[in-house]
Amino acid sequence: MAGAVEAQPAIRLRNVSKTFTGAQHVQALGAVGFDVPQGQFTSVLGPSGCGKSTLLRVIAGLIAPDAGATVEVMAHAQNAPSDDVGVVFQTHNLLPWLTVEKNIRLAAEVRRLPAEETTRRVESILPVLRLESFRRHYPHQLSGGMRQRAALGQILVLLPQVLLLDEPFGALDALTRDQLNVELLRLWQDLRKTVLLITHSIPEAVFLSDRVLVMSDRPGRIVEDVAIDLPRPRDPQATKERPEFARYVVHLQKLMGVA
Amino acid sequence: MKWWRSGRAIAEPAIVFVLLALLWEKAVAIFGIKRYLLPPLSDVLSALWQGRMMILKETWITTGEILLGYFWAVLAGLLVGLGIFAWPMMRRTLYPLIVLFQGLPKVALAPLLVIWFGYGLASKVLMAFLFAFFPVVVGTLGGLAGTPEHLIEHFRAIRASPMTTFVRLRIPAALPSILDGCKTAMPLAVIGAIVGEFVASEHGLGHLILEANANAKSELLFAALIAISILAGVLYLLVELAAQRVWWRAL
Repeated sequence: MAGAVEAQPAIRLRNVSKTFTGAQHVQALGAVGFDVPQGQFTSVLGPSGCGKSTLLRVIAGLIAPDAGATVEVMAHAQNAPSDDVGVVFQTHNLLPWLTVEKNIRLAAEVRRLPAEETTRRVESILPVLRLESFRRHYPHQLSGGMRQRAALGQILVLLPQVLLLDEPFGALDALTRDQLNVELLRLWQDLRKTVLLITHSIPEAVFLSDRVLVMSDRPGRIVEDVAIDLPRPRDPQATKERPEFARYVVHLQKLMGVA
Repeated sequence: MKWWRSGRAIAEPAIVFVLLALLWEKAVAIFGIKRYLLPPLSDVLSALWQGRMMILKETWITTGEILLGYFWAVLAGLLVGLGIFAWPMMRRTLYPLIVLFQGLPKVALAPLLVIWFGYGLASKVLMAFLFAFFPVVVGTLGGLAGTPEHLIEHFRAIRASPMTTFVRLRIPAALPSILDGCKTAMPLAVIGAIVGEFVASEHGLGHLILEANANAKSELLFAALIAISILAGVLYLLVELAAQRVWWRAL
């Protein structure tokens, strides 16, 4: 039975393209198709402006793809936002007039969950994100890293099966970013979610993922599907010192035309 | 140490005030300035004290005009700003009209308002209203339209209804700008009421100024000016205090 459930991909995309029609005709995405199995950590790697964020918004149900596309999340057609999917963007979505705790409660309150259930969820999320002692702080009183953790809490409260992360730590300094990536891995392993991460950092993609999808320049297409076969749990030092790690990085650099 | 610092915050301007007052008092005597041009401060203060009941009464009347005009300006400004924001039709029709009207010097309207609404309270309240109305509209409109796009998208992602998005996101996000509009509007309401009184009135501080002027009582005229500036300052301070409750505007 469990096997049958796992056979169902968490994300299923077929022929997903997106052309923005406005003053100019811009094709952001060209016929993207892939499956993400449940529980997998997948990264989408691509140069900036290649339509990564557009892809993510399509999967989140925030924008509609061109006709003829199939977008399914947890076996449901994703033509509008759903509670199955949570998105975290590079710019955090914390409301400056709410405390960390209230910001995390917000989505659950908007979805009209019972107050006790909301409290229960928030109480389980705060320690996982190490924000317990900052629950009554306002966003402007937090460090950049804490803000992004709180932003993660904002969507975890709806218990989404699939997390879409659009360079959530992209605006942070390298050190904080590495720390948060380690925490993200821990979170992913504890919560058993499916993660689709968008990034333009090759080492980050290799370090975190089971699999890296490489996107071409606009209109974005998947040009290569690289399985990352590095043992878990991964360690920020040991994993990066492995020869395979370097090989993956070089391989991806060649694909992206960096090397 | 805190009392010492706050004491200093009061003491420093107080010293400057006293020095300026002394300068005024002495300069009038030293340079032999004519009393009807600039009466010495002591005369002004004694006029203020002797006429205190009358000045208080006139201040009371003007305050009523200002507050009524301001109240309706804020209320109407909020509603119109909201309406223009919510209905594109209103943005196309009403908004250009308001902008056009805003360009008109409202002082020029005062005589007309007297013809329409008489010598009494209504024409002054309306003048205060006209002066104060526009900044509230602009503040409301700017605040509502300036809600960050990524937060609106977030509310869409968590499937908030338009009503919920409005109440939990747009209103709090717009409050700083709305309050800035309200702060700009308060001194304008004071100007409006005084202008209204200048054109035609039987009461109020504006009327008192005209009367003192006509009777060559310069010290009373200055006393009325002091009353107006105190009144304007206090009213602005009240709005500022209320605005401080929206602390995230400082971020």
